[in-house]
Amino acid sequence: MMKRRLFIATTISSLAGCGPITAALSQNQGVQRVLASAEGLNHALIGTRGLAREYRDRDVDRNFRVNGFATPSDARYLDLARGNFDAYRLVVDGSVERPQAFSLARLAAMSGQTQITRHDCVEGWSAIGKWSGVPLAAVLDAVTPRPDARYIVFRCMDNDGAGNLYYESLDMHQARHPQALLATHLNDAPLDPAHGAPVRLRVPTQLGYKSAKWIARIEVVGTFANIYAGRGGYWEDQGYEWYAGI
Amino acid sequence: MSDAGRPLLYRYALLTRASHWVWLVAFFVLVGSGLQIFNASPNLDASDKSDPARRVLAIGSPSDGVGTTTLFGRTFVTTGWLGWTGDGMGSRGPHAFGASITIPGYQDLSGGRRWHLFFAWVGAICWLAWLISSAIKGSLREMMLRRDDLPKLWPMQAYYLKLRKTPPPHGIYNPLQKAAYTAVLFVIAPFVVLTGLALSPGIDAIANPLTVLLGGRQFARFWHFAGMLLLLGFFAIHVFQVLTQGFINQMRSMITGWYQPE
Repeated sequence: MMKRRLFIATTISSLAGCGPITAALSQNQGVQRVLASAEGLNHALIGTRGLAREYRDRDVDRNFRVNGFATPSDARYLDLARGNFDAYRLVVDGSVERPQAFSLARLAAMSGQTQITRHDCVEGWSAIGKWSGVPLAAVLDAVTPRPDARYIVFRCMDNDGAGNLYYESLDMHQARHPQALLATHLNDAPLDPAHGAPVRLRVPTQLGYKSAKWIARIEVVGTFANIYAGRGGYWEDQGYEWYAGI
Repeated sequence: MSDAGRPLLYRYALLTRASHWVWLVAFFVLVGSGLQIFNASPNLDASDKSDPARRVLAIGSPSDGVGTTTLFGRTFVTTGWLGWTGDGMGSRGPHAFGASITIPGYQDLSGGRRWHLFFAWVGAICWLAWLISSAIKGSLREMMLRRDDLPKLWPMQAYYLKLRKTPPPHGIYNPLQKAAYTAVLFVIAPFVVLTGLALSPGIDAIANPLTVLLGGRQFARFWHFAGMLLLLGFFAIHVFQVLTQGFINQMRSMITGWYQPE
C-alpha cells in the first residue's frame, strides 16, 4: 500500500510538472521546428482541393461576427470611408505584365460571383455569410502575372498598433481556386468598415485569418521571404501556420 | 504480487510496448494542447455554425474573479477550476481551462495548435504501425472482441466483483479487456480522429458528407471533445486496474514484454 501511494503521489506530481516542461519545450527553437513539420505534411495531403460547401439564404448569419482587428483608425482610411470609398483604388502590381488600379466601380462592372459560405475562425467559432464580389482569378487575369510569379500578397490598411500592417498571402493554386473571392458585399449590402470595407478576401477552404480585410494592394511576387518576418502573413509571423486549411 | 513458479510469458512484442508508451505521451500532449485550443473559443454547440441557441457547454467568466460553467443551460460557479483559472504566470485570469493542464502552460493558441497537429500525426502513425504489425503477426485476433466472448462478459465482471470464485476460461486477454481494447482502438480512437479531421476547412471542402454526418462543424467540435472525455475515462479505469492487478507485474510486462501469469 505504501508503494502504491508513493506511486500515485509521484505520478500526480510529475503530471503537474508537465506544464513547466512543455512551457520550456515551447520556447525551444529546435522543438518548434520539429512540431512545425506537420504543416508541410498537412499542406501536401489536404492542400486546396474540392469546393467549400455553399449554403442557402436562410443559413446566413444576419449579424455576421466580426473577426480580427478593429476597424482601422488612421486618417487615410477614415477619409476614404467618409468619401464612400470613391477615391479608393485597389492596386494590383508586382511581377505582372500590366499593373493596374481598380476603382470600386470597375470591380462592380466585372462579372461577379456570390457565395454563401462558412467562415471558420482559428479560435474555433464558425459563421455563415453571403459574400459577393469578383473572383480573385479574374483580377489576376486582368494584370497577367509573369512566369516567375508564385505568390499573391495582400497588403491591408489596418495595423496592430506597433506599426505592422496586416498582410496575407496565397500561392497561385490557392489564388485561382474558384471560391477565392475579392468580396465587396456581405449579405447583399456593401461591406461595412468592421467587416473589411471596401474590399476583403474570402478563402472558404482555409481558416479565417487568410481572409484579409481592408485590402489596399495586391502584390504578385516570387517569394515573400523579404516581407516582414518572411512567413507570408501577419499571424504567420506570430507563429500561426501559413497553410491554414486545418 | 505474483508468485514465482509459473514460467514467465512473453506477452507484448516490442512494437506493442513502444506504441503503448508513445501513445501515452501523444495522448497527454493531445489532451493538453486540445484544451489550449478549446480555450480560444470555450463553447460547444450542437450545430454547424456557432449558435448560442444550441449551446451545450459554455465556460466563461462573467466578471473578474468569477468562473462559470454552463451545461445544457444550467450555470454553475466553477471559479478556480473552470472559467477563472491560473494563467501559468502566477496569477489568475479568464481562461476556461487552467494553464496547469494546458500545453503550453500559458495562453498560446498557435503554440497549442503546433503541438496538437504534430502529435496527432504521432498518434495516428503509431496506431497504423501497431495495427499492421499486429495483423501480420496474428496477435490482433487475441485482443479483438468476438461473438463467443459476449456471454463471458458478465461472468468476468462478476469475478471482478468477487461474486464468482474463478474467471471464465479465456485466452491471453479476458473478455472485458478485449471489449475495452476493441472499443478504444477500433471505435473511440478512430472516432476522435474523424471528428478532428472534420474541423479542418480544407478537409471539409474534400469530404463535406463527413461534417454533415456529424451534425456540422461545431457539432464535430463537440464530438471531438466528447471522444476525448471517453478516452480519459478509459485511461482512468486502465490506470486503476494496473494499480490493483499486480502493478509490478503489469509494468514489467509493458516495459520488458515478460508477464507472470496468475
